[in-house]
Amino acid sequence: MKSKFFFIAIVSVTILGISFLFAMVMGSVELSFGQVYNTLFICSMDQNTGVQNIVAQNSCTVDPIYRKIIWEIRLPRILMAFLTGVGLSIAGAILQSVTRNPLADPYLFGISSGAALGAVLAISVFSTGIISVTFGALAGGIFSVILMLTLAGRAALQVERLLLSGVAVSFMLGAFTSLIIYYSDPEIASTLLFWMMGSFTNSQWGDLWLPALCISIGLMLFLIYRSWIGAIQAGDEGAFTLGIPVSQLRLIMLIICSIITAVLVAQVGGIGFVGLMIPHISRFLVGSKLSKVLFMCVVIGGSFMLWVDVIAHSLIPNQVLPVGIVTAAIGSLFFFVILKSRGRNL
Amino acid sequence: MDFFDFPTSSVFASQKIFCWVKRLSISRPSVNNRCSTAAFAADKICWCVDEKLILDSLTFEIKSQEFVGLIGPNGAGKSSLLRCLYGLNKITSGTLNFNGKNSDSYSRREMAQKIAVLVQEPPTHFDMNVSDVVAMGLIPHQPLLAFSTEEDKVSVENAINMVELKDKQNSAFNTLSGGEKQRVMVARAIVQKPQVLILDEPTNHLDIQHQIEILQLVKQMNVTVVLSIHDLNIAAAFCDRLILMNKGSIVADGNCEEVLTRKNLKNIFQIEAEIDQHPYHSGQRITYDLTGGKENEI
Repeated sequence: MKSKFFFIAIVSVTILGISFLFAMVMGSVELSFGQVYNTLFICSMDQNTGVQNIVAQNSCTVDPIYRKIIWEIRLPRILMAFLTGVGLSIAGAILQSVTRNPLADPYLFGISSGAALGAVLAISVFSTGIISVTFGALAGGIFSVILMLTLAGRAALQVERLLLSGVAVSFMLGAFTSLIIYYSDPEIASTLLFWMMGSFTNSQWGDLWLPALCISIGLMLFLIYRSWIGAIQAGDEGAFTLGIPVSQLRLIMLIICSIITAVLVAQVGGIGFVGLMIPHISRFLVGSKLSKVLFMCVVIGGSFMLWVDVIAHSLIPNQVLPVGIVTAAIGSLFFFVILKSRGRNL
Repeated sequence: MDFFDFPTSSVFASQKIFCWVKRLSISRPSVNNRCSTAAFAADKICWCVDEKLILDSLTFEIKSQEFVGLIGPNGAGKSSLLRCLYGLNKITSGTLNFNGKNSDSYSRREMAQKIAVLVQEPPTHFDMNVSDVVAMGLIPHQPLLAFSTEEDKVSVENAINMVELKDKQNSAFNTLSGGEKQRVMVARAIVQKPQVLILDEPTNHLDIQHQIEILQLVKQMNVTVVLSIHDLNIAAAFCDRLILMNKGSIVADGNCEEVLTRKNLKNIFQIEAEIDQHPYHSGQRITYDLTGGKENEI
């Protein structure tokens, strides 16, 4: 069993490494592996000032434009794609575990709808600065969780009621978002629609720290509580008899997932299906043990989103497709294949 | 007509019970010597849901290492009472002491360190393997950040060996049969090292062989056992004491001879039955009259 996991882990990490390389070289401007290697490890440019490192000056043969593309456009975009894949996947895995619902993902609980509403409000009503969008999405995500818990009331302790309440909140906030878009100026409306379909294109270095911080802290907490979450996965009553504060833990996990999702939605817009699909693929490969599932979510979720980004930039020449479209298209197809291959054993 | 439908299974089951009782009578001290201190002491406990009285002023004591069966028709309040004992249901009034202290004064974790529970339906979600499910029994004794030690792994393996599932330890829990699932849950309880084991209808959906296997395993744990059970013959074979419940109240409480009477069965279960000495063990045998007494009239 262990050797199987290590084998899968090594293969997956290798694929992740290869995905990084391909994501670096592929795009609207095609680069060679040599150019990427030289830029990253030899030219080591000071990204803030644009001044080349004096020590490496003589050996650096890469055109400054390409260096700029790699350092200032491609690398932050790739890292954001990776973080998005990781964040949504681990949030999905945790939500599926604590609710014992294989269909749970950040979208189902209205977290994404809330974050989208907050971000849309920030773009259309308040300002277009990214801090305001981030703040709006974060506030929207948290608001959706509070609304869901309030609507569920005492029934929030029952997972089924919590899910139904989440679905209701999701549709309610989705309706508000659509309403705002409907009454927006056409130019803003098209910006909003494009934003909602998801994109990594405008990602910058400064955008990375908040998702990275939230995902790291979230992942750490998920790993600390892994045995408790595993017990909840096997049933509330059983978990209670093992001394686990089931409702409180579920609530905390829900809030952590909502923060991760809200921060990501704020940065990259709405990207569906990842949080649903990657945890299933991970479980299919390594079983249900949470530490292994989370590890695989990080690796597969990250790799998957890197390839989505590559496809979004390369599929149609001189045009970038919204990431959400590519995710849903590839994801649903891939998911269908998995379903067929697993037959009745899902 | 015997309570078993098929003569072969009846003989087989009776022989198993007989062998088991003989083994126990050699290896274990008598009930009276074992049960000196009270594990649970309930004084007029009530439990209500939305002002509806589910448990009505129950008073009883369960002594340490006693094997107590809760019997009664569906909806009698057996599961509700068990849930009060392990703290899932908070009693509305009355006093419930555990090990001489008010049960509310224990933290949830402290309770879990002392009381293991086999819930009515074993987990069916996600494909956890047997070792993972059994290892959950370590949770109440482990700090949150702890990693499994070699000792933990040995204790999980030993428990799996005890329930004779060594060859299935890497199998997915969902692929096991009902009896195997219950054995896994017993292994989890063994790992939990409890003073008290509470079982809510542990033999539901199991064939007679697996019913006996599960209860034998439980008996071997040598702890205080409180279980709800529907099969009165099995209850008579295994329990030191029975508590008969109906409509949230205790109707009878005592040893099997005192509780399993024709009158009680008629009043509570609305069934005629013959009760006599079981030919293979010291308990009673209940033979149900499926004709409703018409045969006698003829």
